[in-house]
Amino acid sequence: MTDVARYLGQGLFYALFFLPIVYLTHQPQHQHLPEGMAELKIAVRHAGATIGECTDVQAGVYTPLPGNKQRPQICPRERSPLQLELLMDGKPLYLATAFPSGLHDDGVASIYRRFTVPTGRHKLQLRMNDDVTVEGYPWVLEEDVDLQPAQVMVASFKDGFRLQ
Amino acid sequence: MKTLLKKGFNQLDSLFSKVFTPAWNPMYQLGALAFFYFWVVAVTGVYLFIFFETSISGAYSSIEQITVGQWYLGGVMRSFHRYASAAMGITVTLHLLREFALDRYSGPRWFSWVSGIPLLWLLFASAIGGYWLVWDQQAQYIAVLTAEWFDWLPIMVDPMASNFLNESTLSDRFFSLLVFLHIGIPLALLLGMFIHIKRVTAARSNPAKGLAAGTLLALLAISLWQPALSQAPANLDVAVTKVGLDWIFLNPYPLINSWGPGQTWALLVGLSTLLTVLPWLPSRRPKQTPVAMVYPPDCNGCGWCLADCPYEAISMKEHDYKPGHKQSVVDPDLCVSCGICAGACPSSSPFRHVDELTTGISIPGLHIKELLSLTETKLRELDVGVPRIMLYGCDHGSVVEGMQSNNVATISMPCSALVPPAFVDYVLRQDLAEGVLISGCCEGDCYHRLGNTWMDQRFAMERMPMLRTRVPRERVRLRWLGAQGTRELGRELIDFQQQLAENSADVDLLQLQEVGND
Repeated sequence: MTDVARYLGQGLFYALFFLPIVYLTHQPQHQHLPEGMAELKIAVRHAGATIGECTDVQAGVYTPLPGNKQRPQICPRERSPLQLELLMDGKPLYLATAFPSGLHDDGVASIYRRFTVPTGRHKLQLRMNDDVTVEGYPWVLEEDVDLQPAQVMVASFKDGFRLQ
Repeated sequence: MKTLLKKGFNQLDSLFSKVFTPAWNPMYQLGALAFFYFWVVAVTGVYLFIFFETSISGAYSSIEQITVGQWYLGGVMRSFHRYASAAMGITVTLHLLREFALDRYSGPRWFSWVSGIPLLWLLFASAIGGYWLVWDQQAQYIAVLTAEWFDWLPIMVDPMASNFLNESTLSDRFFSLLVFLHIGIPLALLLGMFIHIKRVTAARSNPAKGLAAGTLLALLAISLWQPALSQAPANLDVAVTKVGLDWIFLNPYPLINSWGPGQTWALLVGLSTLLTVLPWLPSRRPKQTPVAMVYPPDCNGCGWCLADCPYEAISMKEHDYKPGHKQSVVDPDLCVSCGICAGACPSSSPFRHVDELTTGISIPGLHIKELLSLTETKLRELDVGVPRIMLYGCDHGSVVEGMQSNNVATISMPCSALVPPAFVDYVLRQDLAEGVLISGCCEGDCYHRLGNTWMDQRFAMERMPMLRTRVPRERVRLRWLGAQGTRELGRELIDFQQQLAENSADVDLLQLQEVGND
């Protein structure tokens, strides 16, 4: 093989190696969200109610601390898990239970979920229970929304649900 | 599957050797090419970092400014950065497949194989981090999916994805963290690459200059022709619909979305685990033969075997009973019984005045004494009258067994570098054969890494033990044609016989003339 043929061959091989690289670094395009769909995200980060009552420290119980340094009450640390329901147009879309973080179950509980939903008008219902001693859902949001194509709607929680 | 892969790589090796020459053959230096691409990415990355702004609005605009405002330098640098990293991904994948296909991942080679697996993760993490920094539609897509992917792990207290809910939840500090990761992870990758080749003697981390130059030229050409560009800027208030993906590095992402994070973790971790344990899984690999043994009475502590061992399996210690002398020690965990050490030992010389050939180091599977005995026996069985040839071959290169004939004796061994140069001298001086032909793996791609390189150097008198000057070079040939070059070796053998016959006729004629003159 002559030098010229060899260098031409090398050029061909470089092209065969790099052309697919050039193509594959941005093509073929990937359809992530189908046409006519929107995204609904739920992001809740909330500390549930503590489980159990605080109890008074009874007088006369032995303690090594002087009176002014004693806590008047002993309170439980464990928190309630969060129970969340999402309904769309009356149909359940998501049901989740999030447990508190921390070794003593005394931290916040977190829920995150992303949904792909059809665009148009929908009735959203969000319900959450953050206290095991209470029946039903103390936190509720019901709202009619009109979702546009590729819109991102976020349902978050801070002293109540809100949609953004 | 492995056999098919092996055949494919053998074909490619042969084709590339023709076009690039063996010295520039990219298939023989895939690891070195990966190092080269890493340095290209590192140097261009430093330049890009100078102009990069670590903020939500600044990230995208600063990269646009680099790409468009200074297309002639910054734009080219960005394209080099992107295409070299993609080329590194492909090269590393080919490197892994080739080492697997050619059975170079088990035995003492397990360390390089296993240490290479985390490098794949680090390489992918480096590349993904880079795409993230651009903060365009693709970055938004991978940001959300990466966060959701990691949130699946039970280690996350707060969902990482909460940072990418919408535009209001994103902060500038996130980009500072990304830059830190995009520098830190490649540095960890570099450290890992160093560890990866730590056990390898004379590891090749630089490709041939011609190959490096050609690669840079090709990178420049594609950078000017198709510069790397950003997509539309990210906007977390609007979901990504259609996105251009880098399928080389971002191929798991569509899986995260369609299969879910858990299954994707299972697939990738499962695949990595399978690759990690591969060296210990049962396979049809040839069984490991007993490792090399040192014979202290014949070891003079010269250290030639230490210098030639491709696996760093030999070290030196105080001699057992020669005070002030050194003695070789073989690490059985690292030795692969290639026999290169036996070929390097100065004691492996048939010219020594001993009743029975002994040597300082040898492999039990084919002791140097047996090799000599086999050589003598086989050559004495050949017909006299036609040029006789001693053909030594290796078990991984051209198949020599079928070339045995009335005037050709063949011996195959774990590595051709097991043949001490003194054997060639001996065979010719004792008139056991008219020529010696040594074959083996492809030039630059020895199964035992350095066997044919050492042989070339020994015969060119550049490395000890050397082939002595008195050996007529026209009666000795070294041919590195590999497994796919068996036919070519057959033709080479015929050519060698003809040449030896012509030489012999010339000598006869000369002798006749001398007799006539007398």
